[in-house]
Amino acid sequence: MSKGYFSKWTNLPLPALFMNWKILFPLLRKEFVLEFRQRYAISGIVLYVFSMVFVVYIASIRVAPPVWNVLFWLIVLFASINAVVKSFVQESGARQLYYYQIADPVTLVLAKVIYNTILLLVLGTLAFAAYSLVAGNPVKDLPLFGLVLLLGSLGFSIAFTFIASIAAKANNSATLMAILSFPVILPILLTLVRLSAIALRLIQDTSYTRDIINLLAIDAILISLTFVLFPYIWRD
Amino acid sequence: MWWKILSVVLLVYVFLTGLLVPLKSGIETVEPAAAHTGREITIRFYGYNTFFEKSAESPIRVWLYYDSQYALSASSFTVVNDTILDARFNMPVNLPEGKQTVYLNAIIDHPIAGASLLPAAIELNQDSSGMVAGLPLDAAWTTTPVETLHLQKGFSFPYQNVIYESIRNTYFHVPMWFVLLFLFCASVWYSLLYLANPSDSSIIRKLKVAGRTLTYMVPAGQENDRRAAAYAETGLLFGILGLLTGMIWANYTWGKPWSNDIKQLMTAVALLIYLAYFILRSSFDEPEKSARLAAVYNIFAFASLIPLLYIVPRMFASLHPGATGNPAFGTQDLDNTMRAVFYPAIIGWTLLGFWIANLRIRYQRLFDRAMDLH
Repeated sequence: MSKGYFSKWTNLPLPALFMNWKILFPLLRKEFVLEFRQRYAISGIVLYVFSMVFVVYIASIRVAPPVWNVLFWLIVLFASINAVVKSFVQESGARQLYYYQIADPVTLVLAKVIYNTILLLVLGTLAFAAYSLVAGNPVKDLPLFGLVLLLGSLGFSIAFTFIASIAAKANNSATLMAILSFPVILPILLTLVRLSAIALRLIQDTSYTRDIINLLAIDAILISLTFVLFPYIWRD
Repeated sequence: MWWKILSVVLLVYVFLTGLLVPLKSGIETVEPAAAHTGREITIRFYGYNTFFEKSAESPIRVWLYYDSQYALSASSFTVVNDTILDARFNMPVNLPEGKQTVYLNAIIDHPIAGASLLPAAIELNQDSSGMVAGLPLDAAWTTTPVETLHLQKGFSFPYQNVIYESIRNTYFHVPMWFVLLFLFCASVWYSLLYLANPSDSSIIRKLKVAGRTLTYMVPAGQENDRRAAAYAETGLLFGILGLLTGMIWANYTWGKPWSNDIKQLMTAVALLIYLAYFILRSSFDEPEKSARLAAVYNIFAFASLIPLLYIVPRMFASLHPGATGNPAFGTQDLDNTMRAVFYPAIIGWTLLGFWIANLRIRYQRLFDRAMDLH
């Protein structure tokens, strides 16, 4: 690695991996304020979730638990992609230039990941509420299901935030987002479906802690890569 | 240059030995597959690559084998032809350990062809009328123990039921995945190099043309990007070849080319990752931006290959050999004759893969230079 490995883009002394906690909370607050100001974005996503839930209900009136499980995660997956894809495109180039001057890339992307995790958790909970209202609630182990939802939001948020930052650089970002994120998200999605099948008592498996550790390990790999690689993406 | 010759030599060796060396003798099937205790029965053995008619200094011996203590020897046998042999057995009255049903392995020992075994060939049922509780076991179980078995002389591959001749695919299907991983590693390595030094500082290359050495400068960043792309492309090629050879194999052993086996699915997804990489590369107008974002995605995608290939397959049942979805070979999946072909095959295919990638890089380098000139 050459000298100035990180400082090239960040203008920070090496190592640039340390986080600026002081700027993290204002950035996080900014995300929330922005969301509440442009309420059409979040409303659109919520409406999207409800539409998908009703499509599922209308298309197959009675949903068996295994189908319920898979359909639920598909709804959450597509809602998540649509919710996260706007992360980097909703703000103008000039405003992003301003963020680049006041924050370092790691703090910036961490704020986005935390915000998206909370957003996806809210969306997932809403989807779960609406879905169990129209298609019944076969969940037997609610605390485990809640944990799976939290882990799912975290994993989706990390992977999608990173992919969205790449896709935002291209013109056809929505298509690119779907293409780039699908293979990366698949291990997370498969583990989530399996864990939630355990919460639905579709699989009798008491040693699900191993799956949770797998999931956390994948999350750890992805978040560390995000921290290392985001400085190369964030500005042109 | 030497490694290109080595690659050709090794692959010629792999193709010749891999396709021409015969399989060891084996028992394909027996008829009938079930028998009762206390009766005399003739069992017909169908051999594979056997030569029962070939005379030898010591006679052929036939057993039905339960475990190291209990085995039944054939009372007499007649050789019908090279691959069919009829053996007569006097089935004993009682089964070992008071069992109702035992599965016996068939063993034929030929002094030249060596010993061959068919697991669970005969289902031997306890005949209720002849059963005598508490009676000691018949002497027939233990009179002629299975010992001094012969080994087949010469160089041959193991005979395995279900797999048969398709065992040769080990030298073509399995090395593809080794090459794929090596090439993707190389691709990631050059992506890392690109990110470490994307600026256009130049590296010097030498080109020998008609006895004269030309030196010219190549932008380092551009060169590393070109290499990363070429290695990923060649890796993709080997991935597709691996899938195709696997599908041919699956067609003969699992009955159909695509069984939605977890490893088939994960491989397909791994190839999708790299297809996405090429779509990403082509969706930018500026070469610098394209190279930088492609390098970033390449590293990210490679890291997500690890859960795809090593974590997910362990969570599901697989038709592939190797216990519980373990992506590696078990200790019993290769024998020494196979190793003598398998390891050269890995080296040969790997060198070929890097050769193809090398040609691709050189073509692209010339192409880029030509585009700059115009």
